[in-house]
Amino acid sequence: MKNEKRNGRSPQWWKTAAILLVIFLLYAYGLQITKVNLQEPLEPQRQANLVELIRSFARPDLFAYETETRRLTVSLRMPCPEEIKGSQVAIEGRELLMVPNCASTTQDPITITGSGFLPNAEGVIAWTPNGTTSSRRVAEFKVTADGQIDTTFTMPDIRPSEEPQILEVVEVVNRNIVGLSDTTYEALDKIVETVLMALIASTIGTFLAIPLSFVAARNLMQNVKSPMTSIMTGVILFPILGGLAFWLGQLLVSPILNVNSTFLDSLQTSLAAIGFIGNFIFVLFELFILLIPLLFGFAGALAANLLGSRLGEQATMRLPEATLRILNFVLTVVGTAVLFILIAYAVNWINLLGIREFLPETLTGQLSLFVWPGLILGLLAALWTLRAPAKHHYATGLVVYNITRTIFNAVRSIEPLMMGFVFVVWVGLGPFAGIMALTLHSLADLGKLFSEEVENIDEGPVEAITATGANQIQRIVYAVVPQVTPHYIAYIFYRWDINVRMSTIIGFVGGGGIGFVLQRNINQLLYTRASVMVIAIAIVVIVLDNISARVRSRII
Amino acid sequence: MLKIQNLTKVYEDGTVALKDVSFEIPDGEFVAIIGLSGSGKSTLLRCINRLIEPTSGEIWWNGIELSQVSGEELRRARRQIGMIFQHFNLVNRSSVLTNVLSGRLGYVNPIASVLRRFPQEDIKRAHASLARVGIGDKADNRADELSGGQRQRVGIARALMQEPKMILADEPVASLDPALAHSIMRHLQQINKEDKITVLCSLHFLDLVQQYSTRAIALNQGRLVFDGEPKEINDEKFIEIYGREAERIG
Repeated sequence: MKNEKRNGRSPQWWKTAAILLVIFLLYAYGLQITKVNLQEPLEPQRQANLVELIRSFARPDLFAYETETRRLTVSLRMPCPEEIKGSQVAIEGRELLMVPNCASTTQDPITITGSGFLPNAEGVIAWTPNGTTSSRRVAEFKVTADGQIDTTFTMPDIRPSEEPQILEVVEVVNRNIVGLSDTTYEALDKIVETVLMALIASTIGTFLAIPLSFVAARNLMQNVKSPMTSIMTGVILFPILGGLAFWLGQLLVSPILNVNSTFLDSLQTSLAAIGFIGNFIFVLFELFILLIPLLFGFAGALAANLLGSRLGEQATMRLPEATLRILNFVLTVVGTAVLFILIAYAVNWINLLGIREFLPETLTGQLSLFVWPGLILGLLAALWTLRAPAKHHYATGLVVYNITRTIFNAVRSIEPLMMGFVFVVWVGLGPFAGIMALTLHSLADLGKLFSEEVENIDEGPVEAITATGANQIQRIVYAVVPQVTPHYIAYIFYRWDINVRMSTIIGFVGGGGIGFVLQRNINQLLYTRASVMVIAIAIVVIVLDNISARVRSRII
Repeated sequence: MLKIQNLTKVYEDGTVALKDVSFEIPDGEFVAIIGLSGSGKSTLLRCINRLIEPTSGEIWWNGIELSQVSGEELRRARRQIGMIFQHFNLVNRSSVLTNVLSGRLGYVNPIASVLRRFPQEDIKRAHASLARVGIGDKADNRADELSGGQRQRVGIARALMQEPKMILADEPVASLDPALAHSIMRHLQQINKEDKITVLCSLHFLDLVQQYSTRAIALNQGRLVFDGEPKEINDEKFIEIYGREAERIG
């Protein structure tokens, strides 16, 4: 026993050493690849840049000011006369000397010194070019603690004239806050937009995620099994009923959309009278109309599924084994072919692998190409089904579960920022694109989180409700929903939180919200304004964090 | 009449839970199922209403082969078989009344029930069921506010709502103290006698078996090792059922 242990120890030691070596190499290589350079942040210029940035951010442009100023006027000649002089002015105890009192080029330095100014005051030197009324800021200065000024500047522009031109030394003697700055108002406006974007995206995402989460829960789906007759009848009926219903929906909607597009216009005009509530009703109405064909199609597909499973169930129970085998065989051939054709159309439509270039362009042309492979595939599938008894129940629930899960995971792994980019292409710049991106991401994320919550429930009540003869939907409503509700609500708030943070940056790709303005300010180097946006985001996130923590603790 | 023939259940991991079990139960009997933990009692009960799919064998109940039905017909069969559980399996966050009403799910209109609407007569029946098991005043409490004994009574009331012809009770008193156990068993006995409902009840304690049941079935490692009147279980039979190391208590 002891011997074995000792024998076992030496390779263990080498293994540990090898793992440590690999980790060491990994980090060493990583450091090189990621270009970590510790000299860069220590350079004086870099540090000065950082300090400037931090100071700008520390001085957010929150308020609007009214300033009280005192002015001193000196005259300046452009260009310089033959004899270069200085100018001296003295008013009310303030003295000022400007050397020289002229400028010929934009490189000529001019120095202003003075005394008797208000200690520590800030000021600017403003120039009103001859022949204009607006003044331009040419330099800034700060008065020392004993009332001295000393500043050197150059003129930004030379405008020769006979007459001397006016320079004003403007000294700020008093500054009053008179209200919020325009930047603050813009931040408030945009932060409201941001929060509402997050709210709408979270709401729609939640509504769609709830039903899907039950489909993506393994414990609910693993017992869903159907005989082949049901599956194939459903598959065959799916395009027939779904397509028929979609067509009916379009037929129903087309008079509203085509014959009378003025109908929508007049609706919008009449609703506009009641402000944003009218707009809300209009948007809902328009959405409803646009969605009718889709809803019809969806209902048709659902009906096909139900009808197929009911018919298949009955056939499986009533028919003798041999007849059922033949029926299943035929249904499998046709059903698989239908499925193949549907998938082939979809693959062709999105041009997967660049397949479009090799196929005929007309639908009938494509159909004739797809039918034979479909039927051959169907025959193979039908032969495969012969292995199991005709009444065998296949785990269709797990198939649906796996597909839903895969889609959730795939969508979740795409950052909302990238989705935002796609939707900006589709629906244009603005918050609508942001909402759609966040909705899609929320849907997948919540769907996954919700379904995991469903998988963690106590199975006892589900068993008990099943034993009463309840069907799947009743089971979900009575045994699952009460158990998961508090967790769902907690997740919804958590997601709203995330969406607010996400929507602050989704504007970077044009998705609306405060991020749009933030990015603009950063790009224009208006850091004091960007700072206001950052503060607004921080406040909203902190407040929401608090609210959601409180709501969560109250519900659970 | 429940008739079980050659029932076998092998779990996916290879565990043989039931092996070739056959017996018949005429209507109106109170049958105790005994055996060690893991002997297949729970599996047997759950195979009858198909909460667990049997691997092979036949289960005939009033002319229907339960092991072959599916979908709508399975649900119709299930709604006439009430079930009571060791851990009560109530929905804790729902009210007692809702828990009891859920016993009607196999009967009511599915769409109305999803909206949590029940017919007035069902609500009356629920109150009556609760009164019958002695907790008529608890209808509006949340299920998790009740004590263990009260919860099991809710479980019985829920089963009664199904107007069952048979009740499957899976160790209904194993989580309760002896006094409560007798009270619950008396309720089951009363239901058995007054409503002529067949009761299949798995039990741990032999004194309960002998006091309440009219017949006992014993399982050992998935095999039927005894089928007869409870008083026939003597020391020899006891060892056969529970093994040599077991000691008789109670």
